[in-house]
Amino acid sequence: MEVLSNLFSGFQTALTFQNIYLCFIGCLWGTVVGVLPGIGPLAGITLLIPATFGMDATGAIIMLAGIYYGAMYGGSTTSILMNIPGESASVVTCIDGYQMARKGRGGAALFIAAWGSWVGGTLSIVGLMFLAPFLANVAVKFGPPEMFALLLIAFILLGSLGKGSFFKTVPMILLGLLIGTVGMDQLTGTMRFTHGIKDLYDGIGFIPVAMGAFGIGEILISTEESLVRFVSKVKMSELLPSREELRASWGPVFRGTGLGFLIGLLPGSAHVLASFVSYTLEKRLAKRPEEFGTGRVEGVAGPETANNAASESAMIPFLGLGIPTGPAPAVMMIALLIHGVRPGPLFISEQPQVFWGLIASMYIGNVILIILNLPLVGLFVNLLRVPFRILFPIILLICLVGTYSVNSSVVELVILLFCGGLGYLFRKLDFDIAPFILAMIIGPTLEMAFRQSLMRSAGSFSIFFKSPIACTLIALSCLLFLWNIYRALRPKKAWEKALEEGE
Amino acid sequence: MKTHVRLVSILITLSLVIVTGSFAADYPTKPITLINPQAPGGTLDIQARAFAPLAEKMLGQPVVVINKTGATGMVGGLAGAQAAPDGYTLTVGSVNIPNAIEWEIINGRKPPFTRHDFVCIGTFTMSPTFLIVPPDAPYKTLADFIADAKAKPGQLAFSSGGLYGMSHLPAEIFARAAGIKVRHVPYTGGGPSLTAIVGKQVDFSVNYPANTLPLVRGNKVKPLAVIGAKRLKSAPNIPSTKELGIDAEYYGWVGILAPVKTPKPIVDKLRDVMKKVVEGKAFVDIIEQAGDEVYFLNGEELAKYMDAESVKIAKLYAEMIKETSK
Repeated sequence: MEVLSNLFSGFQTALTFQNIYLCFIGCLWGTVVGVLPGIGPLAGITLLIPATFGMDATGAIIMLAGIYYGAMYGGSTTSILMNIPGESASVVTCIDGYQMARKGRGGAALFIAAWGSWVGGTLSIVGLMFLAPFLANVAVKFGPPEMFALLLIAFILLGSLGKGSFFKTVPMILLGLLIGTVGMDQLTGTMRFTHGIKDLYDGIGFIPVAMGAFGIGEILISTEESLVRFVSKVKMSELLPSREELRASWGPVFRGTGLGFLIGLLPGSAHVLASFVSYTLEKRLAKRPEEFGTGRVEGVAGPETANNAASESAMIPFLGLGIPTGPAPAVMMIALLIHGVRPGPLFISEQPQVFWGLIASMYIGNVILIILNLPLVGLFVNLLRVPFRILFPIILLICLVGTYSVNSSVVELVILLFCGGLGYLFRKLDFDIAPFILAMIIGPTLEMAFRQSLMRSAGSFSIFFKSPIACTLIALSCLLFLWNIYRALRPKKAWEKALEEGE
Repeated sequence: MKTHVRLVSILITLSLVIVTGSFAADYPTKPITLINPQAPGGTLDIQARAFAPLAEKMLGQPVVVINKTGATGMVGGLAGAQAAPDGYTLTVGSVNIPNAIEWEIINGRKPPFTRHDFVCIGTFTMSPTFLIVPPDAPYKTLADFIADAKAKPGQLAFSSGGLYGMSHLPAEIFARAAGIKVRHVPYTGGGPSLTAIVGKQVDFSVNYPANTLPLVRGNKVKPLAVIGAKRLKSAPNIPSTKELGIDAEYYGWVGILAPVKTPKPIVDKLRDVMKKVVEGKAFVDIIEQAGDEVYFLNGEELAKYMDAESVKIAKLYAEMIKETSK
């Protein structure tokens, strides 16, 4: 009951005119930042920190948090409409979201993404509210061996991500891993595959590769079809998901919430992990996994829910302990410090007004976001009515400007264009791009966790078996791996054969 | 209402800056970028982000802190050293930069940049570190800890924010002075390193006051000593290593550097603005609230300190390398 009375006083703080307004501004700016490829939530928050100086600490954190979770709403838009991930967390949304748009179900995909985001976000706050101090203490126990074990599972799941065969997915994963190794080694400072090119010291960025392989590759392949392809006038019924689509999205949304909430607690690239683990989970659970990649609504609903749930639970270590585990919460913590509020283990008891005000504002913010996003669905879908001969150069421009705006690096533009060519080639040869991008993002973290574990144990592998969590996860990944092999080798059942012949 | 007017004006300014690139007037005529080579949430980040808005008021242009992390600050440092020397891209320098350079030299590599690629603007702070252990660790005093470490050489492990970085070296210097053998696990930045000690993934750690004190108050870590000459104002009951008879001293300075070819008038203006901001009440308050103490060295003093410290660190590295190669 104490929680409820605290929440009530939180709402009293959050429902002042000023705080509602700040929450609205944060959510609006967050949506914009999410929609624009290139600018992520981190840049979005950082840009507006100076604007918070006239405010009190509560107002400041309400606005900045709004940007953060708001960006997760917007991230799916370009994934669905143009096959360009707006955030790294929306890479997997490209797979089925874009296919849905091509089938004229873009409006439905956007609607489901917004709706899933709302459910994921709201339920995640409930978890945050009740469990923050407890979960914060659990999250820090998650050290390198546990991280390694979890990422190992993630990698085995990657193998079944693609719609193609296992043997077409594995090379893509390896290529992604290889590209992920480029740059300065985090643990020793040694240069790897940089060939003296200074722009590569920092590694090959996610943005040019993803925008190139997805966005530009898509344009190239589309030009082979017809430039005079017109999308028929969007009817109102196409904006809304059908009853069938809504029903199919229930399961993924709730599973995505749970999954996202748990994964969000982990340090590092939690959103990316959450969205893609949710996607592969849905694919596993689906009655017809082979339909994934052709525009299944589950492939949008799950990941888009999961990344929102993760973005809110990622704030738990920061609010509960004062240790930010990701860049965006770190910047929010700084904003609080500047206002004289020091997050730490005593933050919730010493600054109840700030904490509960923030929690209440997040409920309000999620409502604002869904009100903001649903009408935008209609607007965004109209983009699809633009003839491709006009739309394509615009997409190309967005990719180029988006890439250049991040690091102002010409080398990254070259990478972008090169990856565009690569993406075209992959599509022609029927290789999947998502496993490639995800391996590139997750690979370095996996390597880091592995090496840190061994440094802790002075080279002994026993460290992975001493931790019960790591041990269980590794056993699980072995089982998964064996099952994958079994599935690939076992004789096909009659209905599966019939299905293949039918295609 | 004032807040909202400010907000709107800043948004408009931002949009103008993005669209037009710059305005025509004297330096600064466009936003200034401060490259922070360390992860967000660390000591450098807090100080740079406290500094940015105050400097912005004096310079009349947005000062934006960006994090460019990797390889204990070499990635961001290199970007800063190679930036156009026009005063629009500055680097949040720290003791890490000369350290990283010495590490390259001692390993027989040509460092991608040296400290002579920078001109010093000044420092925000020069802080010692705390040696911290989990609160339920069986050590009451530093002597207990040293005794235990001596009893099991090479078994206790500590976390740092990165190899040969500003939270690795104080531990290394302390271990040498105390005559103990310990193992090192590097993490990516001060925040993750603290997570490791709070989660008991390692046995001890060293970290700077701003990050450590809130955790001390919440009883998530226990400080055993300040690795330095004096006790800290913000933690008067924690003894310093010097008073305990251990000759270990190391200070993490944080400050601002500019590319060496930056024109003199711009350097002078930046030094002037920095001195005013750092010695101003607003900045001192923020830093003290964050558990740190402001310590301003001007550009020339900082350059001298860096030169002297580099010699010491080079010697330490030579010893460390000799030991690992044995």
